[in-house]
Amino acid sequence: MLGIAVGVLFVTGLLSHYQYEPWSWLPEPAKPVWGYRLTQGIHVATGIATVPLLLFKLWTVYPNQFRFPPIRSIKHAVERLSVAILVSTALVQVTTGFLNVLNWYPFPWYFLTVHRFLAYVLVGSVLLHVGVKLPDIAYGLSAKVPEADVLTEIPWSENPESHSNAGTLADPPTPGISRRGMLTAAGAGVGVIILTSVGQTVTPLEPLGLLAPRQWTKGPQGVPVNRTAEQARVMAAATSPTWALDVVGPEPYRLTLADLEPRAVHEARLPVNCVEGWSVGADWRGLSLLEVVLRAGGTADSRIQLISLEQDWGFNHSFMKGPQLSAALLATHLNGQRLDVDHGYPLRLISPNRAGVLNTKWLGRIEVLS
Amino acid sequence: MKAWRIILASAGIALLAFGVFRLLSEIPTHSLLILAVWLVAALVLHDALLAPSVVGVGWLLRRYVPDRGRRYLQVALIMIALATVIAVPMIFLRGSQPAAKALLLRNYGANLIVIIGSIAVMSLILYAARVARDRRRPVVHD
Repeated sequence: MLGIAVGVLFVTGLLSHYQYEPWSWLPEPAKPVWGYRLTQGIHVATGIATVPLLLFKLWTVYPNQFRFPPIRSIKHAVERLSVAILVSTALVQVTTGFLNVLNWYPFPWYFLTVHRFLAYVLVGSVLLHVGVKLPDIAYGLSAKVPEADVLTEIPWSENPESHSNAGTLADPPTPGISRRGMLTAAGAGVGVIILTSVGQTVTPLEPLGLLAPRQWTKGPQGVPVNRTAEQARVMAAATSPTWALDVVGPEPYRLTLADLEPRAVHEARLPVNCVEGWSVGADWRGLSLLEVVLRAGGTADSRIQLISLEQDWGFNHSFMKGPQLSAALLATHLNGQRLDVDHGYPLRLISPNRAGVLNTKWLGRIEVLS
Repeated sequence: MKAWRIILASAGIALLAFGVFRLLSEIPTHSLLILAVWLVAALVLHDALLAPSVVGVGWLLRRYVPDRGRRYLQVALIMIALATVIAVPMIFLRGSQPAAKALLLRNYGANLIVIIGSIAVMSLILYAARVARDRRRPVVHD
């Protein structure tokens, strides 16, 4: 189970990183519009569920720590070292991942880079561990559930062939919870956590979200925000009556506030999906990005850069190319109202199948690069 | 099976080495040192603090709780512990964010109590059903 969870986390995580750094020859598709919502929702929900799964797994194997002698051979020492790497990276990955969802950063490093490369270490050590333990896994899966209690009902010593690290271990003095009972308890515990937290992305389950970090109904205009205008220090620039959008390209021009309204006639229903695992669908209205780019002398194949009024932040701009360019809106309205300043007033990007942080807000400049 | 073991292990070692290499080349030394502290601390906190306390609770249960009720209590405690692990950081961080983020607004302490209460009630119902069944049809304890 844990192995599958780590696999799912790794694949959805890589998909998410691809959003940030796509290869130029394979731009992000615009369809399905809910693609990133699904993969990142799964990533974060699985990650949260992995916390209990991992603790549970470690608990069941904890007695192995006290087998004697602690190190039987060089091979065994290497194996224990690889397990130590596995356990510590897994604990740090799920802990820091969860803290990132909660927007709390009690560590000095840049979350994204460490989370990304520690994931390779974790997946590598899991594969190594599975390789080492393959005979045990085959035994565990073929044995009957109630009988194959990991520590009690069939002692390792009765299956010397099946256990690469077989050693003697005393049976518990009294009958305890059975293997089936433990699986039930872990499954039910994880189920409770998923059910009470997934409402932050499966929007109809929001009322059940006793442990959900986000609560989409409480966001301005029915959509939460991840970076407020105040945090971004753009309040004055974004609300200035002299705001204008500079469109730079072969035929540069400038759009003022008054120019936006007559052009904002395109509508789309697109989800806002944050890398932190919450998402919510919304009705958007605005200008067609493609039309804005065409007027500046670009084409549907152009690569463009969208630049925010915000200064000094790594995600104050984003790049776009390919199908998303043709499908994107420069939004002025959200759920029937003029954009809230926290949602990117006066103008923001919204595109299908795109991470929220890359839907640049408080746009001040668009550059047609090629 | 042997071929699979070699393939899995080599792929694992390759990915692991790639990850370590990229971490070493992209993260400043100061942060790397603190990351190393985190990694070691995770092992120590878990193996020296968390796991022994869980084992200790298990020992107490074995010592003081009769066989029939123990498994119900164990299942309930496991579920409660898992939910608590997730809830505790949110209880502490509640209200730490600007309102527009709609983040960490709920009363997670009260919600955790609701969840613990529901698990306790469910377990009591299941245990009561077991006791009633044993009374109707006395059986040798398994």
